[in-house]
Amino acid sequence: MLRMRELTRVYRTDTVETVALDAIDLDIAEGEFVAIMGPSGCGKSTLLNLIGMLDSPTNGSYVFDGTEVAGLDESALAQIRKAGIGFIFQSFNLIDELTVRENVELALLYHDVSAAERKRRTDEVMDRVGIAHRARHRPTQLSGGQQQRVAVARALVANPRLILADEPTGNLDTSHGDEVMRMLQQLNADGSTIVMVTHSPAHADYATRVVNMLDGRILQERRRAA
Amino acid sequence: MWRNTLVMAVRLMARNRLYTAVTIGGLALGLAGCLLILTYIRYEANYDAWLPDSDRIHQVQTTIHPPGQADVHTQASPFPLDDLLPGGFSQIEAVTSVASGKTVTEHDGQPMFLDATTVDGDFFRVFALPFVEGSAATALPDTNSVVLTESEAIRQFGTADVLGKLLSLGAGPGKRDYRVSGVLRDLPGNTSLRLGIMYRRDVDGIPAEMRGWGNYDQQHYVRLRDGAAAAAVNAGLPAWKKRMWPPEMLDGKLVSIADAFEFRLVPLRDVHLGQAQEAALTPAGDRRALATFAVVALLTLGMALMNFVNLSTARSTQRAREIALRKVLGATRGQLIVQLLGESLLMTAIAMLLALAMAELAMPWIGAWVGADLAMAYIGEGGMLLPAAILFALAALLGGLYPAFHVSRFRPATVLRANMSAAETPGSGRLRAGLVVLQFAIAIGLIVCTWVIYSQTRYVQTIDPGYRRDGLVQIDNAWRFTQGSEYQAAHAAMLAIPGVTGVGRTGLGLAAPETSTRLMRAAGAPRHVTMEFYSTDAEFLPTMDIELLAGRMLGDRHAADRIAGESEAELVARGINVVINRAAAAKLGHRTPRAAVGQVVEIAFGGWAMVPSRIVGVVEDTRFGTARDAIEPIVYAYDPEHTSQVLVRYAAARPSEIMEALDGVWRRFEPEIPFEARFADDIVAELYAADRARGALFATFSGLAVLIACLGLYSLASFTTQRRTKEIGIRKVLGARVRDIVRLLVWHFSKPVVIANLVAWPVAWWAMRDWLNGFDLRIGLGPGPFVLAGGLALAIAIATVAVHALRVARTNPIHALRYE
Repeated sequence: MLRMRELTRVYRTDTVETVALDAIDLDIAEGEFVAIMGPSGCGKSTLLNLIGMLDSPTNGSYVFDGTEVAGLDESALAQIRKAGIGFIFQSFNLIDELTVRENVELALLYHDVSAAERKRRTDEVMDRVGIAHRARHRPTQLSGGQQQRVAVARALVANPRLILADEPTGNLDTSHGDEVMRMLQQLNADGSTIVMVTHSPAHADYATRVVNMLDGRILQERRRAA
Repeated sequence: MWRNTLVMAVRLMARNRLYTAVTIGGLALGLAGCLLILTYIRYEANYDAWLPDSDRIHQVQTTIHPPGQADVHTQASPFPLDDLLPGGFSQIEAVTSVASGKTVTEHDGQPMFLDATTVDGDFFRVFALPFVEGSAATALPDTNSVVLTESEAIRQFGTADVLGKLLSLGAGPGKRDYRVSGVLRDLPGNTSLRLGIMYRRDVDGIPAEMRGWGNYDQQHYVRLRDGAAAAAVNAGLPAWKKRMWPPEMLDGKLVSIADAFEFRLVPLRDVHLGQAQEAALTPAGDRRALATFAVVALLTLGMALMNFVNLSTARSTQRAREIALRKVLGATRGQLIVQLLGESLLMTAIAMLLALAMAELAMPWIGAWVGADLAMAYIGEGGMLLPAAILFALAALLGGLYPAFHVSRFRPATVLRANMSAAETPGSGRLRAGLVVLQFAIAIGLIVCTWVIYSQTRYVQTIDPGYRRDGLVQIDNAWRFTQGSEYQAAHAAMLAIPGVTGVGRTGLGLAAPETSTRLMRAAGAPRHVTMEFYSTDAEFLPTMDIELLAGRMLGDRHAADRIAGESEAELVARGINVVINRAAAAKLGHRTPRAAVGQVVEIAFGGWAMVPSRIVGVVEDTRFGTARDAIEPIVYAYDPEHTSQVLVRYAAARPSEIMEALDGVWRRFEPEIPFEARFADDIVAELYAADRARGALFATFSGLAVLIACLGLYSLASFTTQRRTKEIGIRKVLGARVRDIVRLLVWHFSKPVVIANLVAWPVAWWAMRDWLNGFDLRIGLGPGPFVLAGGLALAIAIATVAVHALRVARTNPIHALRYE
């Protein structure tokens, strides 16, 4: 599904140059559930942002679905992102001014989807993550676990082929965290490709492959036996 | 999509009530101010545009180059033009002459003044005015008929259906009945024409000496043929004038007087705001004041827009997450810009609706203030719908574009990573600081200007006018009262009123709208000069309490003092005595008043005869007009037959009782003419009424601008203190006291105000120096107003910010540090 070669990301300020990713090679196939682990500052989130095309590499090649995306401009990246990638964040990133339903529906607003179809898909995905009964609530009225379920619903509603999750359980207690992980595992079982950044070895165990990073490089990879 | 944008916008507005109220309220105030000023400017700029074919109608204006004096620009033109112009230029379709004056009639047993307009037979060919009764073809067939306006007809007869009715007009032997031959629809307020009861000019009744080129008692209006250009006529006028205007005999020599006069056709629509305002039929407009108002209105709107931009970018840290998320979900930058602009359109639309309501409510009030018949029409000619729509679009774009581009620029990876404060893009803080500096610079500038204008307006009303202003009454319209044998009895009756100490007559009184300039030459001097010539009686100068500097006053003890209706030739033969003022003595080349006494000056009388006039006294300069005008050199002659006003000095008496007693004397001697008298203090106050109204309007808008700036600062301070909560918490943990924090925040917002002074002071100084230069007498432009305005702005800013600063500084640092 995606293939990275010699991918490098360097952040520069006036006086400091930080190499966040140092010539990484990574392939992810359709249907995989990949967990990326490593200490703070090792480049996990940078890698996830590059995979999600929220950031552009300084050097190297990134082929997504057969298309070289390194060097594409922002609007072209937005098109690819819109068509195939869903995001889940540690801090949920729900919009406080919108209701649960509106937050979920937001992901379809920028697609060419009719209002009736939007409603159908929003209802369906809210059902699927078990948040339909809170559809009219605002995010601030929900628990952390419920908020993250809304975020998952939002990531799913546009039927993306790839779901990127940046520490999806980082702001949750153990039971809510486990609940979200089970949900992701089920999504993977249903066919979604998932790439997740996590600090938790227990949650990394839900993945089919674990990538360990250090100082901007991939240190080791291990696959879980099926 | 649009529903989502609308829902988002409405909920955001509801969540940030302070921001919403300040942005929309400030914008509404700014827009309302703009709409009001725009309505007023359009009203002033569209004078006479309502007249049919107004683009073909022109007024003949005259520029006079008096020797030794500044040019005079007048709307009057000489009598012969009416007959001569049509034959001179093929472009001219018709010419009409309009002379304005007053007449009297009796209404409910009381005499009543009416405006009277004497026109020639071509008036309605030039001005296609709409008739309610009658028509242009049948109006004014002879000199026994009149045309009334609709409201005058209703006032006189109770109905507009008055065709053929008789109206008795005039006083004394001139009183007679006129037949109403037409009723005109009332003219709108924005016209440079003032039409009272309209008579047809009786050419046969005009004495021969009044038919010459020296008679400027009328205006001439020209209607050009369709497609003809006024420029062609203007180009031909100098040569035509030379051909038509015969040389006059001056000092025994034939002189081409015509060289000192220039004629020019001026489009009727440009008359009101034009350069020539002498002899105007209606009060002149002030192009400069309009420009000032326009600038102030735009500045006020600018302040509101700056609030909009400032608060939007400050608030963008709150929006960053939402915007970044929308990007992640596939929104393009264009879609986000459209969404953000949509929000700004919504806010501007609400502000515009509020502004329209405010403008409607304030319109009658502002109209009364500036003396304009203002009304807000939305459609049709002069409708405000289009300007309001343009203003709306402009405000929405100017206020929304930068924030839209700024906010939509956020990079999602940076914003969504964690700390929201990181979303503050570099540069937006500098922009906000710059805009706050600009806002306060404008506010400080306006405060300085308001203060200087207020001080100057007060000052001009308190300057020594050279005569004693308290205890002085001026009786107007006394052209008959001051003449004839009965005046002596009336004079005695007035002096007999308890408290009255003096009664004098003059041809030109206080704040006279007209002038009486004459050509003069000091004996032996090579060049002529022009000076004001006041016909007075012997008691005028003592009654006015004008100080005698040298020589003596005029009186009956010297036979040569008084002009008693002799012919010009007789006066040339015998000579007269005059008193002049200090400025006249200087103009005639005398170093001291004493040196002027005994000298002879030749003064031109009607038919250009130069009458030798001996200076018997010199008096102090006086200021009968406004402080804008320079002190005029004046020659006073004892010539009671050319007086038309009476001045009464009183002391130790109640003003109302004096007025009542004078009214009684007037009714006894002049029962056919209404009594119109004013206290000198009131006349002077009226002279500056327009200045005061403009000053007050300026002050109002300045106040508005300062208010908008403060609202913006208050709101901005709220956002900034919120954003710096964590920093404040850390400072407190490290030992900062409440006052250290308050000082820190107050200084943060005081800095721009201090810098604003550096911007505002030179601009305000330049503008005010320019404005003050328009006055002959003016206040000095010291540092006072500048320091005061700067201090005031700083105090307001500190007070505004201190509220937030105190609140945040008192917060428990634990809460502050938990904030993010």
